[in-house]
Amino acid sequence: MIATIGLLSILLAVAASGVLTVRAWAESRVPEPRASAIRLPVAMLLLGSLVAFAALELGILTDDFTLEYVADNSSTTTPLIFKLAGAWAALEGSIVLWGAVLALLVYFVARSVTDGDRLGLTALSVTGAVSLFWFGLMATVANPFEVCTELAGRSCVDSSWLPFVSAVAPADGVGANPLLQNHILMAVHPPMLYVGYVGFTAPFAFAIAAMIRGEQGSVWLERTRRWSVIAWAFLGFGILLGAWWSYEVLGWGGYWAWDPVENAALLPWLAATAFIHSAVVQRRRGMLQAWNLILIIATFSLTILGTFLTRSGTIISVHSFTQSGVGPVLLGFLMVVVIGSLLLFAWRSHLVSSAPRLDSVASREGIFLINNLILTVFALAVLLGTLYPIVLEAMGRARVSVGTPYYNRVTIPIAFVLLLAMGIGAVTPYRYARRDVVWPRIAAPLAVGLVAGALTVLLGVSSVPVVIIVVLGTFVIATVFKELLRQSAKLDGGRVGAAGRVLRRDPGYWGGQIAHVGVALLAVGIAASSGLAVRDQVRIPAGGSATVDDYCISYESPTSRVEPNRTVTGAVLTLRAADCSSELATMEPVFNRYTRPPAVATPAVRTGITEDVFVALATVPGEDVVLDVMIFPLMWVLWAGGLIAVGGGMWGAYARKRTRERVTADV
Amino acid sequence: MRRYWKFLIPAFVILGILVVLLVNLSSNLVYFHTPTELNTEVTPSTERLRLGGQVVAGSVEEDRESLILTVTDGRESLLVQHDGVVPQLFAEGQGVIVEGVWDGTTFHSDTMLIRHDEQYRTEDNVIYDSDEHQLEES
Repeated sequence: MIATIGLLSILLAVAASGVLTVRAWAESRVPEPRASAIRLPVAMLLLGSLVAFAALELGILTDDFTLEYVADNSSTTTPLIFKLAGAWAALEGSIVLWGAVLALLVYFVARSVTDGDRLGLTALSVTGAVSLFWFGLMATVANPFEVCTELAGRSCVDSSWLPFVSAVAPADGVGANPLLQNHILMAVHPPMLYVGYVGFTAPFAFAIAAMIRGEQGSVWLERTRRWSVIAWAFLGFGILLGAWWSYEVLGWGGYWAWDPVENAALLPWLAATAFIHSAVVQRRRGMLQAWNLILIIATFSLTILGTFLTRSGTIISVHSFTQSGVGPVLLGFLMVVVIGSLLLFAWRSHLVSSAPRLDSVASREGIFLINNLILTVFALAVLLGTLYPIVLEAMGRARVSVGTPYYNRVTIPIAFVLLLAMGIGAVTPYRYARRDVVWPRIAAPLAVGLVAGALTVLLGVSSVPVVIIVVLGTFVIATVFKELLRQSAKLDGGRVGAAGRVLRRDPGYWGGQIAHVGVALLAVGIAASSGLAVRDQVRIPAGGSATVDDYCISYESPTSRVEPNRTVTGAVLTLRAADCSSELATMEPVFNRYTRPPAVATPAVRTGITEDVFVALATVPGEDVVLDVMIFPLMWVLWAGGLIAVGGGMWGAYARKRTRERVTADV
Repeated sequence: MRRYWKFLIPAFVILGILVVLLVNLSSNLVYFHTPTELNTEVTPSTERLRLGGQVVAGSVEEDRESLILTVTDGRESLLVQHDGVVPQLFAEGQGVIVEGVWDGTTFHSDTMLIRHDEQYRTEDNVIYDSDEHQLEES
């Protein structure tokens, strides 16, 4: 029953997508286009996608193990919250969620389309085509409503696409993925990423529509500005959650490993960051029109590439990629998007782009250009490091991995230039910046940065990159605050109230500046935690203690308990200062065993103002225990910086609602 | 002439960046091998390599600071001496990847990675397929 409803609603969404593509296209070409023409297919698309999602949730909640997906991702003992999240924990379900987010996006885009809006209708036609692909994928190779027809023990060995067959159900499902069950954040992380990924469909569709229609100007950018910024913020938040989860839960002792899965999310974020900056230049100065088209095509293509990399099994093994059927289809779609968009660009871009000359590199737009060049190089470097091993292996040559030093060597100088540009660019006028205008605005912040750097050296930090990052990060933050003070000093009222009004006056600019403060903090956090980390492995007998860095760790006793969905084995530890006297905290790193493998180790982390103490089990605790102990300075600065950057994006996206008129801040 | 420079300069810049990236990439590549490949094809050297395989049951012993283990791909097996952090999920029968130097008789590793994936694995752990790439860093 559920399978039938689910499959039918997916088919409805497929049909609605097809109709939407054709109807919106046709309507954009009639003498008097009417927005009402596309209402029905949009409503049907939304209905189909939401019912499909609801049906999958219902299947999981009612323990309908005739559905292969439910049997593979849930069980009767799975806690409610993980049952709910199980709907997007594996490939097929995640595409259903993806489809629902996409249908919502199509709905909101459709709401913004008015009578006579040819650009909007053409863009809707593009979103219809994108939906057709995703729902088509759901209806064929990634059908989440396949019913089980043959059992072997607990697992389903054969299943049917048609829901009308006589289905069999295992007595119980295998349960939710242990990694999901181990922390609730693993349930929140994918939807955030999907809103980010899917959100870029709107600017992409409008860019394609602008090219097809040969519409000059920045209308497509203006209309999708909010989508771009929201998608950017959500994608960034998703990446941040993934890093936090990797650090607090996975327990290998870090938050970023330049793993292809991580790179897959970072790549579109980098391209989108470049796009958001160059879009400002086009809206304000009419430049970079062709470049903006290239960047949004790149961003959208990279979201598809990211999905392909993470969902096709290609990074697990190049040879497993054809097994699921999803891989080749996604690769085909990626090819169509990249080649199709670029051909369209080659054919039509001269109609939409005009190129006012850059007056001087010493100007706001000049620094935006540097920012774009650097971000593009960064994305290119990450893309190269991610794809090279895959291509090499696919060609049947050697199997290689790209070492972390490759990424570090690229990232560190890029971070320097980006931070410098961030600080100077934000206070540099458009067109042409005279030195006597810019210098007074950056002199004091630069001095603050140098003082911070000197203090860092006095505190005993000898790592040169870390000190440089501290100088530049502080410089960026000081620039933003100085500019805020300068602008609010001109307003009446209390200092705080005036600053608040300045922030609201131009949320686009100030959202960006808030994000810059966040990114500067993020850079300092990353530099400190990776450049100054202490890692050690110690063996401690029960009742004994060991000293690591400035801490004394005592192993009190092993511990073990049974919870409804897991068995927890761990060690009770006491953290003390180096002289083993004053007690700082009790820590309990554990192993969690679920109904299905693998066991997941969870570290214990004590967050302090100056540093985190991170303890993970290296062996199962008994007579003695082996611990991986790591000290990461300034971890909270990293997380706070990330959240502030996301918040800045949100401020820039939402706050504009309050004030339509643009008060310039680029005096 | 000016028009030519407008394209040539960016082209040179991009070319230069690509060369720098590729040189950096090639100096940071670590090649992956199976025990069979190391035993038959690869000449011992000081180059850093990765070795992937399954930890042979009963082969693991601790020797002072090192861990001695045997890794197999089902055909050939290889002795590994590991000095470094041992991941939490390390176990006999587990698929591992070690990184280090191959001297012709022993693989001296300092980094160990345990295979970690989000896909479900059957309980009757299928024989380790050394193609695995996605790993939990340790």
